Amino acid sequence: MIAALLDLARTHAPLLSLSTLVIGAALAIAGAGPRLSWFIALAAALASAAFASDMALRLLTDGEIVLTIEGAALFPDGVGAFAGALLAGVAVLAVMAAGASLGDYERRAAPFALALLLLTAAGWIGALMARDLVGVLIAVETAWLASVGLVAMSAQRAALNGALRMLGAGGVGGAMFVLGAGLLHHGAGALDLPAIAAAHVERADAAALGAGLVLLGVALKAGVAPLHEWMGAVLGRVNAVGALAVGVLCAIGAIAVIVRLAAYLLPSLAFGEGVSIALAVLGGASVVIGSVQAVGSHNLRRMTGYAGIAQAGGVLLCVALASPAGYAAALVQLTAFAGAALALFGGAAAGGVQTLETLDGLGRRAPLAGAAIMAGAVSLMGAPLTLGFLGRWRLVEAGVGAGWWWAAGAVIFASLAGVFYGGRLIERLYFRRAGEVYAGARDVWRWAMAPMLAASIVVIGLGVAPAGLLAAADAAAAHIAGSVR
Amino acid sequence: MSAQFALLGALLAPVLQAAFVLSLQRPPGLRDMMHIGFALLTAAFAARLISAAANAEAARIVLAEPLPNVDLAFTVEPLGALVAATVAGLGAVHAVHAVGLVRATQEKAPARLMAFTALSVAATMAVAFSANLFTFFVAYQALTLCVFPLVAHRGDEEARRAGRTFLATLLTASMGLFLPAMIWTYAIAGALDFQPGGVLAGRVNTLTANILLVLFVLGLAMAAVPPLHRWLPAASRAPDPALVTIMGVAILPAGGVGLIKVAAFVFGPALSEARIAALGLIALSGVSMCAAALIALSRQDVRERLAYSCIAQSLAVAMGALVALPVGLFAAALQIVALACAATTLTMALGTTAAVTARRTAIDFVGLGRVMPWTFAGFALACASMVGMPPFSGAWAKLWLITASAGAGLVWAAVLVGVAAVLTFAHLGPLAANTLAGKAPTDAFKKPDGASILLAAPVILSAAATLWLLVLADPLASFLSPIWTPDS
Repeated sequence: MIAALLDLARTHAPLLSLSTLVIGAALAIAGAGPRLSWFIALAAALASAAFASDMALRLLTDGEIVLTIEGAALFPDGVGAFAGALLAGVAVLAVMAAGASLGDYERRAAPFALALLLLTAAGWIGALMARDLVGVLIAVETAWLASVGLVAMSAQRAALNGALRMLGAGGVGGAMFVLGAGLLHHGAGALDLPAIAAAHVERADAAALGAGLVLLGVALKAGVAPLHEWMGAVLGRVNAVGALAVGVLCAIGAIAVIVRLAAYLLPSLAFGEGVSIALAVLGGASVVIGSVQAVGSHNLRRMTGYAGIAQAGGVLLCVALASPAGYAAALVQLTAFAGAALALFGGAAAGGVQTLETLDGLGRRAPLAGAAIMAGAVSLMGAPLTLGFLGRWRLVEAGVGAGWWWAAGAVIFASLAGVFYGGRLIERLYFRRAGEVYAGARDVWRWAMAPMLAASIVVIGLGVAPAGLLAAADAAAAHIAGSVR
Repeated sequence: MSAQFALLGALLAPVLQAAFVLSLQRPPGLRDMMHIGFALLTAAFAARLISAAANAEAARIVLAEPLPNVDLAFTVEPLGALVAATVAGLGAVHAVHAVGLVRATQEKAPARLMAFTALSVAATMAVAFSANLFTFFVAYQALTLCVFPLVAHRGDEEARRAGRTFLATLLTASMGLFLPAMIWTYAIAGALDFQPGGVLAGRVNTLTANILLVLFVLGLAMAAVPPLHRWLPAASRAPDPALVTIMGVAILPAGGVGLIKVAAFVFGPALSEARIAALGLIALSGVSMCAAALIALSRQDVRERLAYSCIAQSLAVAMGALVALPVGLFAAALQIVALACAATTLTMALGTTAAVTARRTAIDFVGLGRVMPWTFAGFALACASMVGMPPFSGAWAKLWLITASAGAGLVWAAVLVGVAAVLTFAHLGPLAANTLAGKAPTDAFKKPDGASILLAAPVILSAAATLWLLVLADPLASFLSPIWTPDS
């Protein structure tokens, strides 16, 4: 009986990985108190991660999975399965970390915050599995509006300003996406993702413009430079849960969706080259602008956000190569980004850190939080034996293979900038004394350390022994390349 | 003891040393015993590896495969074994001196100082025994990060500024120059393994070889090739045990061994393809040697003077490695050993002097040799070695370097080496002579009992080491010959 139920669940894994999050969100709101809601949310996130991981494992090892009724709306491909599992795992850690910060909300508001966190994850996972552009749009907007709500729930009034900026940016992004999808349908005659690449394009200009607008619409939500004006206002003012939602879930989700959409748009003979150039320009700009802004930033969350923009730029450069090697490098880079962002945002939340000054001496007064932030920082720097190094190595390798030396230069530039901002973090953590205001201001020896420690271990562990990750990324890239052929 | 076990021991013993020193801070006697004991153990492992390299015993440790076809691996070869033995031997002497120094100065955080010194030795061992460019890069970064706390140890604004300069220069150069060169090499050769004959031999055109050589040499900022040498004068105000680590035991030897490994194991015969870059870098090194020795002459703080003097000496390693002849590689290897011995002696002597007399400037050193005869006898021997006076090790290194330069048709380079030696004499010779010949100060000591044996004996021991190349030069030539003799 149990085995039959498990088999049934595995058959519908794509649908269940989404629906458990949505149902979990509803149940979390119905929970009697913050703690019960948190347990429900965590259980839902764990169940979703289990389904997503199982689906990814089967898809990447067997090559395909049989879709039943959900096949009408969902189409899990290599990139979607890989990034979906990654995002589901990130959601588990984000919900765990959120448990320590529920006190930032009023008692009645906390379950809603958890529900919105789950909906954010569900939305992005949905976008990674949607079969057509309409499905992607609905899922992306769900995720975006949920994260806007989460930002607006922060106790600081200034966060409301950030939420409004997100709403405005998201509205523009949504409009661009709708317009782009319309143009793409007009030019290529298809909205179904697998069909777009193979479609006979009658109006190449309209299709190219549409593809560009679709990608820009999501890029705006990913905060890719120079479309990231909203990000500083949000990350500088939002509370810890909101920062995890925007800085980690939204950023990873949106970039992953771009990778997936690009993988379907790039093979098109009619407009693929144009898409590639646009992604390369956007990627290069993101690497440079994000790195420079991270160097100049004095707020840890903003700094992490800007460093994330640079990482996102690296992912776009990988994708722009339009090759399986590029897609695989993008997925490795995405995983590195997720690990570093979780370690940094999680460490900042656990240590009660916001500005760089509050980091002073954190390595002594909170060794675990300090270690997590350091692991995130060294990964962002691209230090060897971290996931960040592996991601950049794969990008440079793929870039050099394609003759894109300038992309390798951009990555080196990001690493050099990383030396400055990452080095500054480490110096403050371990070589400065805590100011009186901050010393012992917050109890940081809490179980909430678990998520960021897990992220730190992943950042270092996969940097030392990356064979499994590389194999999975290669399989995912080969799968999506095969899907669009 | 198998060579494999000795290799593991040489890499792990300093790490355990750091762990024990940190965990057994009280009583201080136990902490000090651990510090010295593990340093001696490291030296014993390194000595065993010399014998393994001499007998061509194979030993390889693979820790991980972080990239396709690229291992995080360590192996024993003659150059690495020689540098590791030198560093470990001097490290043991330095451990005794550090114990004396932290007691004499009542250092506030002695365990941290000792632990990071031990970790620096561990990272230097990893650099020396690295089996490929990737492992070298990892160990090099680890060394930078281990020495940074030593530079910034005092924690005041000056120390933090020095630490930032140190970290920024070394990390920026390695990430911005060395890393791209490594990736480029991987793209060309499909491998990063160090192998006699060079991985790039026959695979690289002239333009690429020239660019790669510049990236590698400047990326190895620990070798202090200008303009990436500023970290060394900046770090010269670090605590005395840190200075020994930077100039004698870890950083400069690591930079030197990196240069030789790149020249011999990455380029090999392909160095002839990079002739333009090599000549440019030799000229830069030669001129900078003279300039550094000249600047040293103008410095009154003996630590700063020594920092510039060490830059000049380190550049001799670069010249030897770039000459593209076996004799040049031999000269460079000898120069690493000579510099390590002399710089360790001098920095330890400065530490001893500062601890018992609180004197730091050249003018205040006059006559101190009369009240601290052992310390300043060692100081004088090390100065003579730095200058290149026979029969000290520096003389043989410079002799071979001049021979190599002349043999390669670069007479001007040989002349520059000679000029630098004269200028080194000018800034170290009178200083050493005045300490011994000047009138003894009446109020030399802060404390009436002067320097303890823990402070004086290590200086004498490492000064004696500057003599050992006198008898070992010939055996060393055959010991090191596999570096420039590709496997058939």
